[in-house]
Amino acid sequence: MSDGLVQILDGNTFVVSDSRGDIEASLSDPTGLFSFDTRFLSQWVLTVNGQRLTPLSTDDLQYFETRFFLVPGTGTVYVDSKLSVIRSRAVGNGFREELKILNHDEKPVDLTIRIDAGSDFADLFEVKDALKKKGTYSARVTRGRLELAYERGTFGRATEISATNRARVDKNGLTFKARIEPHGEWSTNVDVVTAVLGSGERHDQPKLARARGRQNMETNLKRWVDNAPTLECDWDSLRETYRRSLVDLAALRFSPPIMGHRSLPAAGLPWFMTMFGRDSILTSLQALPFTPELAATTLLALGDWQGTRIDDFRDEDPGRILHEMRYGELPAFEERPQSPYYGSADATPLYVVLLDEYERWTGDRRLVHELEYEARAALNWIDEYADLMGNGYISYQRRNEKTGLENQCWKDSWDSISYRDGRLAGFPRATCELQGYAYDAKMRAARLAREIWKDPEFASELEKQAAELKRRFNRDFWIADGEYFALALDSDGKQVDTLSSNIGHLLWSGIVDKSKAKAIARHLVGPRLYSGWGVRTLAEGEGRYNPIGYHVGTIWPFDNSFIAWGLRRYGFKDEAARIAAGILAAADFFDGRLPEAFGGYERTLTRYPVQYPTACSPQAWSTGAPLLLLRTMLGLEPVGDLLVVDPALPVGIGHVALLDIPGRWGRVDAFGRGRVSLDEKKGLRQGQQAVPV
Amino acid sequence: MTDATAEFFEALAERGHSPLLERAKGTVRIELADGKHSERWLLAVDDGDLAVSRRNVACDCTLRADKALFDRIVDGKANATAAVLRGAVTIDGDMEMVVQLQKLFPGPPPKRRRQSNGSKRRRRT
Repeated sequence: MSDGLVQILDGNTFVVSDSRGDIEASLSDPTGLFSFDTRFLSQWVLTVNGQRLTPLSTDDLQYFETRFFLVPGTGTVYVDSKLSVIRSRAVGNGFREELKILNHDEKPVDLTIRIDAGSDFADLFEVKDALKKKGTYSARVTRGRLELAYERGTFGRATEISATNRARVDKNGLTFKARIEPHGEWSTNVDVVTAVLGSGERHDQPKLARARGRQNMETNLKRWVDNAPTLECDWDSLRETYRRSLVDLAALRFSPPIMGHRSLPAAGLPWFMTMFGRDSILTSLQALPFTPELAATTLLALGDWQGTRIDDFRDEDPGRILHEMRYGELPAFEERPQSPYYGSADATPLYVVLLDEYERWTGDRRLVHELEYEARAALNWIDEYADLMGNGYISYQRRNEKTGLENQCWKDSWDSISYRDGRLAGFPRATCELQGYAYDAKMRAARLAREIWKDPEFASELEKQAAELKRRFNRDFWIADGEYFALALDSDGKQVDTLSSNIGHLLWSGIVDKSKAKAIARHLVGPRLYSGWGVRTLAEGEGRYNPIGYHVGTIWPFDNSFIAWGLRRYGFKDEAARIAAGILAAADFFDGRLPEAFGGYERTLTRYPVQYPTACSPQAWSTGAPLLLLRTMLGLEPVGDLLVVDPALPVGIGHVALLDIPGRWGRVDAFGRGRVSLDEKKGLRQGQQAVPV
Repeated sequence: MTDATAEFFEALAERGHSPLLERAKGTVRIELADGKHSERWLLAVDDGDLAVSRRNVACDCTLRADKALFDRIVDGKANATAAVLRGAVTIDGDMEMVVQLQKLFPGPPPKRRRQSNGSKRRRRT
């Protein structure tokens, strides 16, 4: 928790407060109670006899529950310890706060307990960009409840506040009078409920999100962790990282309104608790061997929202998989395009990749049948709509020039696509990994067409296209003197010649000619890209390289997990293990919770990974990175109805056992022993067949 | 005067099937208010087969909107999802049916579309 901010959440409802539990937000300040991308409370301040409180400690009991231990008074070293205030808060449909005050004195005490409440009903985008509101506010008190509301035409949001104890309620909050006997206590529950108002009718949030009781959530979390495979190993930090990943992944689950109680991974907490095409797909891929049900929901929900028409404002095309869905005021009034927004060039081919990988693990042919139309539409998008330059490559250029995304690949910051001399490439841009994803999508769809859709002609056609794409790609993107693939082709079809981590994704996709793979692997663990902790987004020595540049030098754990997978795909086990070892060692410095990115400084220089300051933690695909690294270290690969295990662990890890891996085989165990030396390339090998249990 | 909503449903009835809705099964009632008048449509979807009627029977989902807005939605001049988000279209029942239904609405009319500058966009068909 950075800056003493405390975050708790359930689905996309979350609270960010200070360490006292208070919320005092301004338009640009990110604290508050948020739900469906709207801030429902921007003020929530507790006082006792007019005094603010001082925190003694804050306990995050669960991701949805926090307890604050407080004493009255602020600003002095000495605190009056005759009173203790315990504030427990659990997020559900809004939140419930249990307020308990203990009198440690021998005399009775008379108290005035006050909660000041208010809401600016800001849209998340307004909080991020500090924009002004256009609607009207109201506050009213009815039957002991305070209702705060915001309306703009038919758009309405409301917050209802009530307490279980008698309170004097006014338009700015609640006041309690209490007399507490010597060594006695007083308590009350305060409920904050968020509501969506529409067309004069009133809809409580449960219409969108199922309200979940606290008990229920605890059981749910336990079941989630119990259902995942068990990790046994002699590296304590890896066990801790694994446990942290499972719990964070549980917290990041999000049920889109259309999916009932089923959930998919949202992108990150707190600002990205929504459906993102790219993030949801990549995280589902990382988590497949552990929690395959996430992938099924991701495929269904993204399939439901697949583009069906041409809409420039949303950058929508038929067959395109969405980039981002939002529920707040700005998308509602089309001041922002996320209803949903489709400006992503990789989510669509990756959708097909996930469908195939999901079936390989689970054997769920039914879903592949069900989503045949969507998969074909996605493949059609690659050929019909994504080839902006007519050169047979996916490229991107936004049609919504005001609020659309410039960079529609995962490196989406403004300066991410540059030439060696630092110049930025023009649009459209065809980044290299997109072509790899397209190749992989076609190859995997060919398998699905042949084995499940029973359409061998389509399968052959896809394979032909894929082979042709691979041939052209290895010619057009290859930089012969540097022996790597260009980051992109620019609008003139010329190579954007920087050395970047994107080449690792190319290995993962399989588009790289065997004869070129060795040079790529050498670069990935070479001094310009590899820092000792992981692979940098951009190589040292490039014009825009900056070890703390968002996509131009930092190290992204998610990126590295796919790079490791790619290295394994081409048989570079030692190199893959080396990357896994570096990232997992870094995780230890973050208590098992890998950040979105960390600095690209040389490991020997800093000795510890330097965190990049970002607003979101945990981030879904960083949470998924250790899971995918475990998969690559153990060499888990479904082959027919068997799970093949081919471990290659770094020497730092003595042994790893992953028990009860779910899949089409039922549940199996996988074992591995450390054999890969990190310094020298020694032999390892020794394949191992999984043992059915 | 043309009635965009009537034309939209007549076209659906004529089509009788949409591959976009092959995973969907259910009924959605569309209730449209037009001043003092109101009209009602019922769309039944069964694995992509579409049946349109004006019957008043139990359904999985009811969508309510002003007729004028719905006319714009079926013409592609207004976006259904944004309208739901701002409460101009309200939904009772299974949200999934509305997600399916919105796939059938067209995009903005071509005349509103801007050609992106400098794009070498070329369709290979």
